[in-house]
Amino acid sequence: MRKFWCAFFVFWPIVAIIYSLISSLVPSLGWWFPGASVTELGQRIDNLFYLILYIVTTVFVGTQIAMGYVLWRASHSKDERAWFSHGSHSLEVIWSVVPSVILLFLALYQMDVWALFRVQAYFPKEAREAPVAEVTARQFEWRIRYPAPGKKLQLKPQPDDLYDVNDLHVPINRPVMIQLRSGDVQHSFFLPHLRVKQDAIPGQIIPIWFKAEKLGIFDLTCAELCGWGHYKMRAQLSAEREVEYEAYLKKLQADQNYDGHAIPSAVAKKDE
Amino acid sequence: MSARVWRLLVVVLAGAVAGCAEDASQMRFAQNADIAKPVHRKARAVVEKTLEEHFGTPLDSVAWLKLPVNYGKTEGKVKSVDGQSLVVDFNAETSDLESLKSPELNRSGLLFTSGANQGKSFLLADYDASEQSLETLTALESVPAEGDQFVVAGQNLRHGRKLYARHCQHCHGINGDGDGTTAKYLNPRPRDYRLGIFKFTSTNKDTKASRDDLKRILSQGIPGTYMPAFVPMLKENELTVLIEYVRWLAMRGELEVQLLKDLKNDYAADRVKKEAQESKASTSEIEKQIAKQLEEYVANPTEGLAAFIETVTGDMVLAWEGAETAGTVIMPPVPRVPDTAESRERGKALFVKTDGGKCINCHGPTGRGNGFQTEDFQKNDATGGFFEKRGLHDSWGEQIKPRDLTRGIYRGGRRPIDIYRRISQGIKGTPMPPVAATVKPEQIWDLVNYVLSVPFESASPKAAKTNSVAGQPSEHGNAN
Repeated sequence: MRKFWCAFFVFWPIVAIIYSLISSLVPSLGWWFPGASVTELGQRIDNLFYLILYIVTTVFVGTQIAMGYVLWRASHSKDERAWFSHGSHSLEVIWSVVPSVILLFLALYQMDVWALFRVQAYFPKEAREAPVAEVTARQFEWRIRYPAPGKKLQLKPQPDDLYDVNDLHVPINRPVMIQLRSGDVQHSFFLPHLRVKQDAIPGQIIPIWFKAEKLGIFDLTCAELCGWGHYKMRAQLSAEREVEYEAYLKKLQADQNYDGHAIPSAVAKKDE
Repeated sequence: MSARVWRLLVVVLAGAVAGCAEDASQMRFAQNADIAKPVHRKARAVVEKTLEEHFGTPLDSVAWLKLPVNYGKTEGKVKSVDGQSLVVDFNAETSDLESLKSPELNRSGLLFTSGANQGKSFLLADYDASEQSLETLTALESVPAEGDQFVVAGQNLRHGRKLYARHCQHCHGINGDGDGTTAKYLNPRPRDYRLGIFKFTSTNKDTKASRDDLKRILSQGIPGTYMPAFVPMLKENELTVLIEYVRWLAMRGELEVQLLKDLKNDYAADRVKKEAQESKASTSEIEKQIAKQLEEYVANPTEGLAAFIETVTGDMVLAWEGAETAGTVIMPPVPRVPDTAESRERGKALFVKTDGGKCINCHGPTGRGNGFQTEDFQKNDATGGFFEKRGLHDSWGEQIKPRDLTRGIYRGGRRPIDIYRRISQGIKGTPMPPVAATVKPEQIWDLVNYVLSVPFESASPKAAKTNSVAGQPSEHGNAN
């Protein structure tokens, strides 16, 4: 049984090292993040994550190996007595000060990323001044309201606003801001590929900004258990070129004003 | 290791694998209780048996080829015959059977398209994928020859049933009766398909919902209700099979309702009691007589059950197929009247006119959905009397409110054409009447323009000022 505990404590750091090695050497397995971040800010968030991961891994592997070593040594000699360290002042100072320094460093080091991600005053001015859409989470879908092309998003719905559901379109290479709301309970707006996650809270309008730097369709899911249909809140973010984005809004506008006579777009035609 | 450790290990392992076994669920179609109750139980059993024969059970559904449901077809031809079982060859291009295990095909329809059995359909009992052999449930009328072409149908139904069970059943119920486990928490209630009525359609007032209408609801959701949008979670082919399954459930429900209503005339639940009082015959004698009559009714080929089913399904087929034809889709004969202040004024004048469209009676003078009809007792067409509660009721007997037009929530779609269709043809299953016969298309457009402007009619000039720049919380909830 003595040997078992030695092996037990050494086993986990080995698993941790193998897992990190495989996931960093073969990122295509998707054991880690869903690919590299699509935004620059997301990359910086990833870097923060990795920094913490390295610190934690070092501490974890170190302590486990130390523990394994101590048990191993003790299991071999019955004569050696344990060193009774309880109440050692210097030891207590060490294990209080070292983690404090690490935590304080992390707290200061992440401040600019946090401010950029979360504090509205630090958002890019371009994004702050012209939110592209209002996204309302509701059991169990995402309802999206865009301003009419060339207009600004207003707090209250306007007669010429454009509506879509579960498909948020944004232009790439430009910071965009959306206003997040909830129609019923708490939801969470989660763009895993962009490393954006923000709770939607009833009664609040919460701004989120991001700058997609890659074309594509990315998952938009709900990351807060919001009811029995939580899994149904699977939408998509279409990051597209400025021209495509404008064309999308134009198409939405044409569809929304469709009266059976105007030339409908392909989608409207299919609906009829 | 000690016995204690072993025991602990066993408990932990048992706990870890508990619930991993596949759950053999006991799904069954329940009878339409409200309509079945006044019908004699023996007649009810006949209805259940009929439905079982033509529609099967949820896990073992029958592809009844008579119905206009796209069950999904696979073509093939006979290679050799061995008694009841046929060795066959499926057409590679049309076949998606390989992905299906044999139980999936149970009770699919098999329709011969050439040879001695041409035009006849049979139910499949078994399909062995490795041997490529089929077995039919009922005996083949004549022995098929090598090379006879046939079609096997039913894959869509099975695929659709799985999707339905996962995404829809907890609200809409196994039967499509709108009484799933979560239904009781919802207001408005989930749709009960069994009347064959869907509210938001593009078709005219006498026609069913088209596949495109159902697809639009699935992909757009219904704002203001608990029906969410299922796109992009569900892919195009998944929507297709789900729609077929829902139509199939609706047709099953319709046949059930029609059969029960018909049998109620002669086989009411209180018939035994009544006749016993009148003729002083013993109840067991009357019961016997009922059983005999029913037997005759079922057996009678020209005027009995079979003929009734033939008529009802014939009408049903026409109605559902009709919804797919271009002629039934409502297209406004004139383009939208420009959305000007004058047009809205004209629309408003019509809206409040009590001898025109009568919108005001239910939707109220300012469109808040508080017209006087909501305070009145309404006639119940089903019973001939009045509803117990005040206010409007739909065909499902639920109390409903006329839409509050100031909120800017449009359940059936916010496009001008959607609103035009609803005003012109009414909303099926609700007291919202079609006005196309009395109101001209231009006037309907005026009404559309007015209705779309109602949420933005400011009650006082002060209210307009609160439309500030985005970023500040509003005093109202989101109207989306």
